[in-house]
Amino acid sequence: MKNKTTYFRFIWRNHRSFAIFSMAFITLLQFLILYLITTFDVPAILSTLLNQFPEKLKIYFSDNFFNTLSLDGAAAFGFNHPLVLTLLAINAINIPVAHITREIESGTLELLLAHPFRRQALLSTLWISGCMILMIIIITALIGSISAAAIYHHVNSALLINLLKIGINLWLLFVLVMSYTLLFAAYKPTGLKASNISSVLTLVFYLLYFLSQLWDTIKFTSYFNIFAYYEPQKLMFGKGNFYLNCSVLTGLIIICYFISRRQFVRRDIP
Amino acid sequence: MIYFDPMENHSLISAQNVTKYYGKVTGVKDISFDVGKGEIFGFLGPNGSGKTTTIRLLLDLLRPSDGKIEIFGLNLLDNSHAIRKRCGYLPGNFSAYGNLTGNEFLKFLAGLRNNSVSGDKKLPERLGISSFDMKRKIRQLSHGTLQKLGIIQAFIHSPELLILDEPTIGLDPLMQYEFYDLLKEYQKEGGTVFLSSHNLSEIERICHRVAIIRKGEIVKDESIVNLRKRMKRKLILNLKSPVENINIPGARLLRKDGLTLEFEVDGDISVLIKHLSSLPVADIVLPEPDLHEIFMNYYNGKHEE
Repeated sequence: MKNKTTYFRFIWRNHRSFAIFSMAFITLLQFLILYLITTFDVPAILSTLLNQFPEKLKIYFSDNFFNTLSLDGAAAFGFNHPLVLTLLAINAINIPVAHITREIESGTLELLLAHPFRRQALLSTLWISGCMILMIIIITALIGSISAAAIYHHVNSALLINLLKIGINLWLLFVLVMSYTLLFAAYKPTGLKASNISSVLTLVFYLLYFLSQLWDTIKFTSYFNIFAYYEPQKLMFGKGNFYLNCSVLTGLIIICYFISRRQFVRRDIP
Repeated sequence: MIYFDPMENHSLISAQNVTKYYGKVTGVKDISFDVGKGEIFGFLGPNGSGKTTTIRLLLDLLRPSDGKIEIFGLNLLDNSHAIRKRCGYLPGNFSAYGNLTGNEFLKFLAGLRNNSVSGDKKLPERLGISSFDMKRKIRQLSHGTLQKLGIIQAFIHSPELLILDEPTIGLDPLMQYEFYDLLKEYQKEGGTVFLSSHNLSEIERICHRVAIIRKGEIVKDESIVNLRKRMKRKLILNLKSPVENINIPGARLLRKDGLTLEFEVDGDISVLIKHLSSLPVADIVLPEPDLHEIFMNYYNGKHEE
């Protein structure tokens, strides 16, 4: 057990700077979004502006857009902001790549595995550490949102439960990103390849999901898109299917984790 | 040279017909060797000959395509974890985590071994690493100091078997001698060493037995003592005055330079000495048999098949 806690502390030490930066940035962003929404009458300002837009342009601003301008909507939007998703993706991709493929390249993984530290133990500790780091970041973001809501408006149990659901949904989404990165890292010989494949795949999922919202022809792709199983706006307004989202994401995580574990145990180092 | 008779000792490492393919490329092919308990076993070969592949196979980092490896009498594939508990390893081109200090690195590795203490505190001092260096980040250390840190981490938990891949790279001659002393002390205390190197004099100096690997195949596995016995010795004679038609039984003249004659000796040394007494000899030099030539023949593939 001591070797696992030693390795966990080592992983945290390597990633804590960026994790703390992510926590601070995301928390402040949540705070700022809620502050803006509650301090100014943003819906009124934007409605006035939108009325001056041509009709063809107005159709792009759906009800969801106006929902965002409420406190609840803004809290949900904070968890779907591209900067938040990018920071979480960087954390999720960097952790497995840094400790598998980059360590294979530098030769330090060879030294670790020459010690009495089982490959399964290494991989599971790495995966659990990544899950915990992502969880800590999301928990601080939730604390930021709840604090802002408490300071500038009011906090009720519905808001708390919905925020918690969004947090869990977001955490599972990025645990999945981390798990498929682990899968690529377990197969690929170089760190750059594994991180590039994982980054491109995540970006493709995100863009495809965004486009499928606007373009009906590719709407069917959303069934196969991981971002379709993360619905912060819908969850906030009680429309999303939280349990389905969690089940699909958890299923994919388990598949990725066990395949990567099997491959990592079997593969040659380096 | 330490005397060692492998026949008296149990086999600690036993590799039988081990083959490793990397796709279509052969890493090692059908290699077999045994390393006795308490032996310093040299594994010699040029770059790319399969030394590191063999070491990685011994540590279960690579999985053999064919063959069987037993260490401490245990099958490696089934007991890898138990075997690695009893081994110390120094990789070739040793690298460590640049963001840790030397002390933190040793503590981290001790933690991976489920130990709370990081072992013999005198070892860094003996290898010339100051406490100041041990508190510096590893990325700030020189190549030589990093290599010393690698040696320390391999020795520090007093393993039963040491597997060392090119251990003296980057060490100055003084430290190389200190390292050899360390190895000899370790061996006297009952430790076993598997040492890979392409440094011929290093193998000759410290090993009991050597296996020479070339293009993934072991071309020779012999004790250093036996290799020496089979070597043709050299004899250099400095004469007081010239001698015509010198003919010494069991010796072949290799070179004549004025009054200095160099012979290759193949016969009984007592007959030779008796014959030399009849000559006007000013000085005799009998250099230690040098294994370089024999090693080089195996390196180049010029050995007798």
